Amino acid sequence: MDFMTALDVGGSALTAQRTYMNVISMNLANARTTRTADGQGPYQRKSVALESTRVTPFGKAMDQALGQELQGVRVTGVVNDNRPPKQVYEPGHPDADQNGYVSYPDINVVEEMTNMIQATRSYEAETSTINTIKAMYNKALEMGR
Amino acid sequence: MPNIYGANASLIAKVMDLRLERQNLVVSNLANINIPGYKARTLEFESQLQQAVGSQDMRNNLSRTSGKHVPGTFDVAAYQGESLKEFKPRTIYGADAVDMDKEMTAMAKNSLMYNALTTVMKSNFEGIQKIIMDGGK
Repeated sequence: MDFMTALDVGGSALTAQRTYMNVISMNLANARTTRTADGQGPYQRKSVALESTRVTPFGKAMDQALGQELQGVRVTGVVNDNRPPKQVYEPGHPDADQNGYVSYPDINVVEEMTNMIQATRSYEAETSTINTIKAMYNKALEMGR
Repeated sequence: MPNIYGANASLIAKVMDLRLERQNLVVSNLANINIPGYKARTLEFESQLQQAVGSQDMRNNLSRTSGKHVPGTFDVAAYQGESLKEFKPRTIYGADAVDMDKEMTAMAKNSLMYNALTTVMKSNFEGIQKIIMDGGK
């Protein structure tokens, strides 16, 4: 039972949400990318896969019956969203096919913004829990003064 | 258990530990808010702790049939911290997913109680300090 476990858990969530933010911003930046670096078709929308984890390394050291209930979060990977690209008729475009259609990634700005707000709110909630833990810690320190 | 820090010091320490553990669970719940299938967890200890403390003194278990009866009191002299070892808090798995409002409220309530307990402990210590400092004058 210690303060550092809470900070570890909170930190893991901050990392996860930040990764999610990075992926969202990558999606928005590439909303109109028709050619990726490896030359393979249009950009594919990415999504983040998250997973609950045991709290480490403090959680291991403090492996008590109570401590085992705590779960942090971890990014297991950035996965491709395999939705088909949008076909837009643009004969003048350098990436147009023989029929004049260009494949654009199917990225919905509203969808990305909604995900972004969700990630921001989660991030904020997590910072506020960390601040609360810090306040509690300071209060505990005050006792000896 | 005669104790210079007051008979309730070990009880307060235990409750502070439990409140910290509850805070840890709130952080854990919020960290997993976006995980599909994650079940929120809550820590229950108040009523059980009340029982553990109440069983120290039989007077607490008397039922009052009239408002004029003298209420049972918590007998601090009979209180022993050791008996708390038998007390086990429960972690309950919520049926629904994480509710941010619920978690934030639990957190606010929890930290207020924690801070209140530190204040109680602090004033305990201050009292002792006062006796040490002023008693010799």
